[in-house]
Amino acid sequence: MARNPLKDQLAVVGIGSTPYGRDLQRSHLSLGLEAAIAAIRDAGIDKNEIDGICGSGMTPLAQGGSGFLSLQGALGIDEITWGKNSWLGSCFVYAAETVFSGLSDMCLVVQTYVRDPGMSRSAHADPFRRNLTKFGDIGGDIGGSDFAKRWVHSGEPYAGWMRRYMHDYGVNKDAFAYLAVNSRSHGARNPAAVMQQPITLDDYHASRQIWEPMQMLDMDVPVDCAEAFVITTAERARDMTDKPVLIHAMSLGGTRVGEFYENSLPWTENAFWVTLKGLWARSELKLDDIDLFFPYDGYTIDGVGVTEAAGYCKPGECGDFFKDNWDEARQVLRLNGKCEVMTHGGGLGMGRAGGANYFSEAVRQMRGQEGARQIARVPEAALIAIGSFFHDPCAVVLRT
Amino acid sequence: MRNYGPIDDFTVIELYSDVQVNRDNVEYYRGLAERKLLINRCGDCGTWIYPHRPICPECWSWNIKAEEVSGLGSVFMWTTLMQQRSPSAPHEPVPVAAVDFAEQKGLRYLSRIVNCRPEDIYHDMPVQLTWIEIGNLEWPAFEPISDSGRGGTR
Repeated sequence: MARNPLKDQLAVVGIGSTPYGRDLQRSHLSLGLEAAIAAIRDAGIDKNEIDGICGSGMTPLAQGGSGFLSLQGALGIDEITWGKNSWLGSCFVYAAETVFSGLSDMCLVVQTYVRDPGMSRSAHADPFRRNLTKFGDIGGDIGGSDFAKRWVHSGEPYAGWMRRYMHDYGVNKDAFAYLAVNSRSHGARNPAAVMQQPITLDDYHASRQIWEPMQMLDMDVPVDCAEAFVITTAERARDMTDKPVLIHAMSLGGTRVGEFYENSLPWTENAFWVTLKGLWARSELKLDDIDLFFPYDGYTIDGVGVTEAAGYCKPGECGDFFKDNWDEARQVLRLNGKCEVMTHGGGLGMGRAGGANYFSEAVRQMRGQEGARQIARVPEAALIAIGSFFHDPCAVVLRT
Repeated sequence: MRNYGPIDDFTVIELYSDVQVNRDNVEYYRGLAERKLLINRCGDCGTWIYPHRPICPECWSWNIKAEEVSGLGSVFMWTTLMQQRSPSAPHEPVPVAAVDFAEQKGLRYLSRIVNCRPEDIYHDMPVQLTWIEIGNLEWPAFEPISDSGRGGTR
């Protein structure tokens, strides 16, 4: 076992989300503020109880975005004792770390995502969206005219990996297809989801090739949205609510690949495997205890990697595993007869929030607050794994 | 465009003005301008180092020199780009491949595959270096090795 001194010592006490849309015509900061205010109100605290802020993005200043400096100023939070920007799932882990360390007691995480010009051709035609990339955030194509730098922080190697995965394990696209259909089936039941139409397996296979063999329906849907969370100590959380959602275990991971992704390691050595190995070395809850599973779906190959790295099946067997655990009537996955997957529609159905909406969905389901979409037997343990084969993946077990 | 003889740092930076040329990768770009594909190599233990970095990841030596590679390798993985991000870009499929160099296992370089239909590319296909002109500069690309030309790889 690895050390896990933070076991059940931290809790998520506030959740806030904006509407999701393809073209909300709002700035990062505007979206982030709406989610932040909703999360602070959901926690039932005064804004000046916030003493730590994790803003959005991978640049320290995040000018023109919703970085911690802009958020603090705009929200009028007088003093903070910890500030940082981050993205994907690692933002959640960093905020929890800081509360555990004592540098902050009540930490706000704000994650904004917009349909940036590197993600869709229509977004590329929007001058405001094109302007965004001038401020240094990762937007793809950073190698300039040198084609050899094209896979620095690029999505295209995931397409190469889809083919390599199918070749190495002698499998077809089933695993990818089931994940895509699952998310869209759940998304169609979620009024907040951008994609309201369910799809069939045939629709998946017929979708447009983007980076062959990766198709349109393998890729999450670029949207404008924001999510925010408030993380505090379990002790404080018990004063605020009868049934806090606790952080049971979490992990990060990295490998020596660096930023040029053609240097990929073998399938079972990428950063998801490091991260999930680290999670199970810390978590007392095991895979059998998990009621809700959120495997990152930036691309379907991510979700397949997470599912295998989590230990649901052996490497290369995800397609068969999903086929055996497919609920034909509802057109969704139900793993080992109990575990629901991506119940809000994830990035493929609800919209791309870099995985941030997995945390809000998990917390709401575990509080029993999802109304018509509430899982009948309120889930008690959730596994969330978000990130990249190559950089800052995270895995988190939440429990009540 | 052809360049002959040594090219000074100012010229390299000017030629590749939209690329972040720095002290660690300048020899690579100088090499491109001279139509040579250079990869950094450890002068002590012989490890090839890519991307271009100032130390050897195996022995931490700072004795790093850019050295020309054979240009022989094989396709580790690839994708065919069916659309570019810019809506105004040409609509022709572009195969992009991670090429495993013959010099060292796992030494990979990203490049275009040319002189080959996308549907004819396969995993571990032997390829060799060639050059293509884009934007008035010559850039590395890789093409299949014909059967008669095989045998140069591992």
